[in-house]
Amino acid sequence: MNDAACDLLDEYLAKARSGERAALASLVRAHQRTVYSLALRMLGTRDLAEDLTQDVFMQLNGNLSAIESNRHLGFWLRQVTTNRAIDQLRRRSRVQLTSLDEEPELFCAEDGADPLLQRHLRALLSDLSPQARAVLLLRYQEDLDPMDIARTLDMPINTVKSHLKRSLETMREKTGGATLRCEDQPT
Amino acid sequence: MQKYTLPMLLALLGPALAWAAPDPKLLMPEFSGLAQKASESVTITLDPTLLSMAARFLDGNDPQDAATKEIIKGLRGIYVRSYTFDKDAEYAQSDIDAVRSQLSAPGWNPLVQTHSRKTRADVDIYIMLDHDQAVGLALIASEPRQFTIVNIIGAIDLDKLHKLEGQFGVPKLDIDGPKTPAQGTRK
Amino acid sequence: MNHDIESGMRSALRPLAPSEEFSQQLLARVAADPQARQKSYGLMPRIARPLAWWLATSLAACLVLAVGVERHLEQQRSQQSGLEARREVLQALRVTSQKLNLAYEAVKSESTSLPDEKPGD
Repeated sequence: MNDAACDLLDEYLAKARSGERAALASLVRAHQRTVYSLALRMLGTRDLAEDLTQDVFMQLNGNLSAIESNRHLGFWLRQVTTNRAIDQLRRRSRVQLTSLDEEPELFCAEDGADPLLQRHLRALLSDLSPQARAVLLLRYQEDLDPMDIARTLDMPINTVKSHLKRSLETMREKTGGATLRCEDQPT
Repeated sequence: MQKYTLPMLLALLGPALAWAAPDPKLLMPEFSGLAQKASESVTITLDPTLLSMAARFLDGNDPQDAATKEIIKGLRGIYVRSYTFDKDAEYAQSDIDAVRSQLSAPGWNPLVQTHSRKTRADVDIYIMLDHDQAVGLALIASEPRQFTIVNIIGAIDLDKLHKLEGQFGVPKLDIDGPKTPAQGTRK
Repeated sequence: MNHDIESGMRSALRPLAPSEEFSQQLLARVAADPQARQKSYGLMPRIARPLAWWLATSLAACLVLAVGVERHLEQQRSQQSGLEARREVLQALRVTSQKLNLAYEAVKSESTSLPDEKPGD
């Protein structure tokens, strides 16, 4: 986001803090994609993602006075969204069944998108622990560096780096960097 | 008033009747976190799009490819989840039971149910029939350090499946259509 | 290799917009929240025209450059995807046949015979 856009959002934030609803609506519109995408890719279903998105912005409404800048707002939204999603995933029942055909669209459907990479990514996301999933999304969806991820999730930076390293290794294996051992087994 | 009753009744019953048609797709647990514990994992999700993509790249001049192409011609999905661990009891039996319990739903016919004392392996193979035509296959194999779930959707030709076993160097099972299952000693 | 994978992941994980219906509901809900204090007047500031024009022009230039490169990469990816799908089909059927063999071995070792079919089946 360039400086001019940031200045504009800072202006909206100031007006939203003083009660201007239109400014608050602009902030919601500016940040809803981030919050919704994090929620959807953490929780895996549209309904839960929409509920969480709504909860996060309602919580924001009550905490606007504590937000100092648009940059701080971005940090706050990512932190609250991922932490609440992690909490929800921890509380989920042990066995959660999903129809393989009802999985929501989690990825950008653009021309030239690699469907196999997306499937590997979907499998990776579902295999990761909630914390590791959050690390991956903050890195590759939000483009945060490891230090910012560590601050957002209140996690040691070495743990962040370790999660990223393992995730990349898994993706490399899945996309053919190394063949799976099953192929080498005699039939 | 009476002439409106039958259409209303059909409108009410329609969804229920549609729902009653057996569905060969199994619901799978997320198995989150297992990939990190497993020494090997196989996660394959092939929908109709990917199956037809694969068919285009199967070489008709190669015997294995040709046999494979024949088998997948009538298929609408192949789903595999397989995890191997270095120690016993690294996965939750409840996850496997959640899938196995779906095979007692109407439509599924047990083909083979075995238990091996030597390998401590349970293997259940079920077929879903629609007017004597196989429209789905479910295979659940569990051992102390490994489990595999295979779900195949579509018109499975059991004759071609026999040939498949030969192609992969596997002896024929001598299965000839749906029978009362072969019972191994199940603990 | 890592760069390609990371690039693919960034591309796949670009933020998604929620449905328009949800978006409207969210805005309405936030606006109706008692914690949102209503001011007596509020003027939406004008978006600076030069900013919007500059952004649009930069974006168009980047897109033109990217299209040519992307087309070439797309062909390569398509071929790779097809070969990968073929590999997965073979692997899936191999795993299936291995487990069929497991069942076969169990049946053979237990030496059970199939019971007669029930009448009327």
